[in-house]
Amino acid sequence: MNWRHALYLAVRSLTWYRGRAATIVLCLALTLWLPVTVRLLLNQFREDIIARAVATPLIVGARGSRIDLALHGLYFDSVSPDQTTMAEADYIQNTGFATPIPVHVQYRTQSVNHVTGVPIVGTTIEYFEFRQLGVARGLGLSMLGDCVVGCDVAARMQLGPGDCILSAPQNAFNLAGNYPLKMNVVGVLAPSHSPDDNVVFVDIKTAWIIDGIGHGHQALKDAEDGALLEKTDTNVTASAAVLPFTEITADNIDSFHFHGDEDTFPVSAVIAQPSDRKSRTLLLGRYLTERRDFAQCVKPTEVVQDLLNIVFRVERLVWLSSLLSATVTALLLALVLSLSVRLRAVEIRTMHKLGCSRWTIAVLISTEFLMMCAAGIVVAVAGAWLASVVAADGLKSLLF
Amino acid sequence: MIEIQQLKFCYPRSSFHLHISELEIETASVSAVVGPSGSGKTTLLHLVAGILPIVSGKVLVDGTDLAALSDAERRKFRLQQVGLVFQDFELIDYLSVSDNVLLPCRIGDAVTLDSATRKRAEHLLEQSGLADHLRKPVTNLSQGEKQRVAICRALLTRPAILLADEPTGNLDPATSDQILELMLSSARENDTTVMMVTHDHSLLNRFDRVIDFEQFLTTSEPASCAEEVWE
Repeated sequence: MNWRHALYLAVRSLTWYRGRAATIVLCLALTLWLPVTVRLLLNQFREDIIARAVATPLIVGARGSRIDLALHGLYFDSVSPDQTTMAEADYIQNTGFATPIPVHVQYRTQSVNHVTGVPIVGTTIEYFEFRQLGVARGLGLSMLGDCVVGCDVAARMQLGPGDCILSAPQNAFNLAGNYPLKMNVVGVLAPSHSPDDNVVFVDIKTAWIIDGIGHGHQALKDAEDGALLEKTDTNVTASAAVLPFTEITADNIDSFHFHGDEDTFPVSAVIAQPSDRKSRTLLLGRYLTERRDFAQCVKPTEVVQDLLNIVFRVERLVWLSSLLSATVTALLLALVLSLSVRLRAVEIRTMHKLGCSRWTIAVLISTEFLMMCAAGIVVAVAGAWLASVVAADGLKSLLF
Repeated sequence: MIEIQQLKFCYPRSSFHLHISELEIETASVSAVVGPSGSGKTTLLHLVAGILPIVSGKVLVDGTDLAALSDAERRKFRLQQVGLVFQDFELIDYLSVSDNVLLPCRIGDAVTLDSATRKRAEHLLEQSGLADHLRKPVTNLSQGEKQRVAICRALLTRPAILLADEPTGNLDPATSDQILELMLSSARENDTTVMMVTHDHSLLNRFDRVIDFEQFLTTSEPASCAEEVWE
């Protein structure tokens, strides 16, 4: 039989019995969609997470959960680990094994245009070189109080160079706590398709100011009478009447200062970029021996691999349930097809009477079935692709 | 010419049996087949069409012994030489009027679907007064229109034999008359041999010959049963 004719008759039949055909296609598509989508999403997720982990050699931080530390250092938007101090960055620098890049993520921005606040990442200029982040609009960080925003943040919050954004205090009822800092957006980063697109970057000193460790306030001579409570050779104590600055400008920048030793200032993680493989091993060795009581050094790839092993256990469950539902669907489809052939007995008998062979009739029915299968596969793959595009961020947010 | 000699037939697990010692039907003749229900009229049409296998006796169509043909050969014979019209029209619901007429070309290699065949289908439908319904689904047609489509389908391949099984059985008298006229005039135009089963005795004067199945009824002589009948 001519396949063109078989195809023509199959298309006519499927168009005529479109309700039944659509139901079968949908059943097939749904059965295939779930495992295909899970596979695509997990592959995409694995590639993304592994790529960032591979690009981040070592992360140093306070002792505690290595997963929290690694994910915080890589993605910022997870449970904040215990803090370490700048002393750790200095230690790494002094060993000469690696370049330290401190990262301090403690605060978020306030909501803008009904968009929930995003993490504020305090870091040094080396971070941008390390992640190869370029500025698409405006300039990079140059002074205290400046910030550059990730491209997704800029799009969602409708921010651009010249705009301002406020940090969100962690506890509004903490009278001794930090004030919201008004930060000037000086630049928007080029898309990197990474978590860097979804955060606001500031200099680490600005992060400390947001944290309340550094501050600027009006000169005591300008303050109300009685504002100066005590003055010794080494210390000055003022009352709460002295107003702190909530914005860093060219006029007040000189009044900003930090109390205490910088070595004791907090950082949530330090990314260590070893110069070579040997330095990496030596640095790891240091953190397993002399620094083991103070901090830990994690290899992000190992942590991520452990995490993926958990995810893949879930994947196996999904595959199993999909296999079960596929079996049930196959049985139901077999039933539907056999009933459909019975319903079309008159048509089949007519074709036979006219001179059609059993083989031709089998070809006609098979063509219809194959077309429905093909349509089901196409719908499933298209749906899976769509889900992987649309739901990828949702999946990540479920995992982190 | 259709020649039937010592044709014996029965269905498996059935008391029915058919025995025709001799019957000749002239080429281009128009014959009515009458007889009581269950006498084997439809079975005879199916045997002549090659739908049922001949297990005993002979059926010769223009010298071709149908008993000697294989299944595939009988199917080819059916597609090329026989036109079939049924009481229930037996059209394919999901095909349009023209596609139903062209169906014999699509279900086998015996007839080619070319522009000439398409033109013939259109011409037949035009002759039948269905020129405006070519793209319509057959389910939208009246009973009479459906039977006209079935006749066009049967005549598409210019068959040597047109076998009609009570084609007017489901139609009102006026439509019956129109359908019969269409069928017989088309057959005469193409010198087609017509065998039509009917219970309507008022139509018999339109035929060259009436074959009465009363003469073939027998209860004594067992016939050979077909081993393989399409279920």
